[in-house]
Amino acid sequence: MDTVVRVEGLSKEYRLGVIGNGSLYRDIQSWIARLKKKDDPWSEIGGQSRVGRRERFLALKDVSFEVRRGERLGIVGRNGAGKSTLLKILSQITAPTSGSIKIKGKVASLLEVGTGFHPELTGRENVYLNGAILGMKKSEIDRKFDEIVVFSELDNEFIDTPVKRFSSGMFVRLAFAVAAHLDSDILIADEVLAVGDAKFQQKCLGAMKDASENQGRTVLFVSHMITALQQLCTKGILLEHGSLVEAGTMDQIASRYQKLLAET
Amino acid sequence: MAARDKKCEDWDLVITPKDKVLWLDIKELVQYRDLLNLLIRRDFVSMYKQTILGPLWFVFQPLMSTIMYMFVFGSIAQMGTDGIPQPLFYFTGTMLWTFFSITLTKCQDTFNSNAGLFGKVYFPRFTMPIAYTVNSFFTFIIQFLFLIIFYVFYLITGTAVHPTWWILFTPVLIIQVALLGMGIGILISALTTKYKDLRQLVSFGLGLLMYATPIVYPLSKIPSKWKVVFLVNPVTSIVEMFRYAFLGNGMHNFWIWGGSFVSTLLIFWLGVITFNHNEKTFIDVI
Repeated sequence: MDTVVRVEGLSKEYRLGVIGNGSLYRDIQSWIARLKKKDDPWSEIGGQSRVGRRERFLALKDVSFEVRRGERLGIVGRNGAGKSTLLKILSQITAPTSGSIKIKGKVASLLEVGTGFHPELTGRENVYLNGAILGMKKSEIDRKFDEIVVFSELDNEFIDTPVKRFSSGMFVRLAFAVAAHLDSDILIADEVLAVGDAKFQQKCLGAMKDASENQGRTVLFVSHMITALQQLCTKGILLEHGSLVEAGTMDQIASRYQKLLAET
Repeated sequence: MAARDKKCEDWDLVITPKDKVLWLDIKELVQYRDLLNLLIRRDFVSMYKQTILGPLWFVFQPLMSTIMYMFVFGSIAQMGTDGIPQPLFYFTGTMLWTFFSITLTKCQDTFNSNAGLFGKVYFPRFTMPIAYTVNSFFTFIIQFLFLIIFYVFYLITGTAVHPTWWILFTPVLIIQVALLGMGIGILISALTTKYKDLRQLVSFGLGLLMYATPIVYPLSKIPSKWKVVFLVNPVTSIVEMFRYAFLGNGMHNFWIWGGSFVSTLLIFWLGVITFNHNEKTFIDVI
């Protein structure tokens, strides 16, 4: 089996606190004050100048791992461990500070359900818009449209209603139905199942597992729901304070994570 | 390093800290053409959905401006129009200026108005400014057709309008307006992301810049010692050339226009570089 995702020495650094003063004229005042070697008029009393300050925070520290084709990788860790940052870099939303990621195949990433849904547009129009935003072609959506509607369990009469009139459950089901029909080699999903009822959650997990086992799709899945992770994933990695603590089978990682939670 | 890996193993996507992208990834934009289509249609339809005048709105605005200019600058201030009928003179000016300023205003706000979307899903960010530009281009075309109707009416009644062969040149001028508005827009989009108050400055500055461009008066009214200042503004020669092409009066120096065209391309290219650089990191700043 070949590697489809290779993450090497990945780090991400964020600047902490206020970045600049938020308005140009304040920044200019601060710069002028610094040039004149006077106190920054916008710094807190007794504090440092905001502009020159370099407080940094490493959200990810030298993370490396590999994922093979058809594997389902669960990413676990406590709040602030760097899970979402990792997914954001994998989805090309923000660039890493150092290190690299190499990917083989088409990636679909689902960091939020219903991204790009426009409240004024109808369910049908949103399926097309959302699908296109996630990287589908129009012909592809045409082909899968009926399947999507069936999966979402939405009544046909609702599909031409603006989504602002949908209940939140209907909204989520339709949004996930679009995502579930993405034709990608790699699916990246962040805590997307927290919404929707238990029955629909099971259906989504089933759909992801199916796609992985039958079509060889690779899944990278972040969740706090250990049972869902154990049900879906084969492998797992544990992140803590931005570092990769352990990589192994999902069961290993799950028990290690639960031990970690119990410690604190 | 990326090149070496490409050789031994065939990766489809390599994510590294800095990609120095100096030009547009046309191939990627073509892959997302369906998205581009949908975005354009969405914006265009939502612009006149639930309005009384519908698409007529696009003509109503420049028409009212023209009437206002005829009254204020034509009748009260007596600025003159180089012998061009006043409605045609002001309408061409305001039409071109609106195209330029709307494109610029929309494009400079790309990151702010799409922060929620850009923070959650990747697609080529450049589709957004393209969609905005194409939309204001459609608006422009509607106004342009309206102008043509007026124009033909004036030609038939035999008023002093003299079309020249430069008319064949107008597509180039229109593309130049689009590139210029988009170029400046994406160039400052990085700044407006960081400094929100710059947005007010942009709309205010555009309002002022209009009076520094021969929109409500002909360039010939400007004293020759100040002309250089006006010709530095690339919009000046576009407007003047456009008027010369259709109405037979205005500046038509090929070399001055050439200069403005080259600077337009330069601004656009700088805009693309800044935009490419910004799209990788803006989400950490906004």
